[in-house]
Amino acid sequence: MGVKKRISGCVATANAVKLADVEVICSFPIRPYTGIMSELARMVADGELDAEFVHGEGEHGQLSVVYGASAAGARAFTGSAGVGVTYAMELYSPISGERLPLQMAIADRTLDPPGDFGSEHTDALCLRDQGWIQGWAATPQEALDLTLLYYRIGEDPRVLLPQYACQDGYFVSHIFGDVEIPDVAQVKEFLPPYKNHHVLDPRNPQIMGAQMEPAMGPGMQYQRYQAVESARQVIEEAHDEFGRIFGRKYAPWVEEYMTDDAEIAIFMQGGHSETCKTVVKRLRNLGEKVGMVRLRTFRPFPTQHVREALAKFKAVGVVDNSANFGISGGAGVLLTEARTALYGLGDKVKTLGFVAGLGGEMITHEEFHKMFGKLKEVAKTGKTGKENFWLPFEL
Amino acid sequence: MSVQVKDVPFAGTVPSPKTENEGMITGSWRTRRPILDKDKCTDCRMCWISCPDSSINLTNGSVSFNLKYCKGCGICNEICPVGAISLVPELDFEE
Repeated sequence: MGVKKRISGCVATANAVKLADVEVICSFPIRPYTGIMSELARMVADGELDAEFVHGEGEHGQLSVVYGASAAGARAFTGSAGVGVTYAMELYSPISGERLPLQMAIADRTLDPPGDFGSEHTDALCLRDQGWIQGWAATPQEALDLTLLYYRIGEDPRVLLPQYACQDGYFVSHIFGDVEIPDVAQVKEFLPPYKNHHVLDPRNPQIMGAQMEPAMGPGMQYQRYQAVESARQVIEEAHDEFGRIFGRKYAPWVEEYMTDDAEIAIFMQGGHSETCKTVVKRLRNLGEKVGMVRLRTFRPFPTQHVREALAKFKAVGVVDNSANFGISGGAGVLLTEARTALYGLGDKVKTLGFVAGLGGEMITHEEFHKMFGKLKEVAKTGKTGKENFWLPFEL
Repeated sequence: MSVQVKDVPFAGTVPSPKTENEGMITGSWRTRRPILDKDKCTDCRMCWISCPDSSINLTNGSVSFNLKYCKGCGICNEICPVGAISLVPELDFEE
């Protein structure tokens, strides 16, 4: 069995990369994700990990390096945060289109309202429709587990897609948690070696990413659509296997917390859900029928599972930790996705959008109490007035 | 008309071509034609290495242009260390 250590989300991720026996790593510094790369650089320097460690000349270069490495048949890893993530934007679509299952860790950071460097999901959410597997870890332990899970899911021959393993900057990446680091034999059982059926090899020359005529375009996109859809079954299988081998059972799509007989609930993803849980527990102790639903896999989006999970509540507050200006509903991406999932249920479940924790601010207990207060009011009266709230200014 | 999904190569990956592609003849794009001065040419092959469209053939150590695909980009003219390749407007030729 593994060992238990008190480490940060960054160090937990680095440990998972080491356990996955990654062959090529490409770094470029930007906080808060940098903590992952400094730990990996140390592991390589100290001889703990035998990997090619390449320092990119920027994030666009970083993604280009792992793109080539994965095409050459190596298990590859990179990562970034904030504007670093968006600087590499050009590469994301061709990497998934060419079906190269490399992994990118993202420890969130704002997209620079001048000079801010706090955590915000806005960076990674900009990438949401690029054909990658994507989801958020809420604890350092989950950051480690997500890295292993995503390599397994992405490299499955039925999927062959790259993955964004996301964690909140600071709130997960720099928070210390008790993390069980599994042993190599367990990981070997869970994660078979990376084998792609199209690999760059001078003995069998191939053209990858060739220019093609527009008539090929629809078929290419449909292939990728099918890959994302077939990932759904693989995600469920991988979570089952993970639970069996490592003993940690995660719900693949949504984690429900104290939702039995709950009338109102918060729906959210990422590390702030840990704060939300303590508020839910406190309110339960006071006799309030409240709960929380945490989204674990964001792409592919589990429309059915979210609908089933949220349909039982009278009112749901969707917490968006992202700035999405001008979006329908006036809150964030999660509110629009949740409302789409609930479409067809009519007005049965009232939904409110809460934009919170922007710029790297805490979403405080007080703020969660205010959200639940608002939801309680809506559930009681059956009426909503204003449906979107930017915290702390509007609630 | 869209190509059927089963006929689209997986991930767009195709074997390296071994014959000329008759479906994409790019020589008609050209406005300037490369002309080689064989007296100046030293057979250094810099143009052959640098041509982005593999439109320079190497036969018995000597270079010649494949005008069926040459787009007339002029990189060979830029790269030639002895000025052996000139670019002549296509309109100066009968055909």
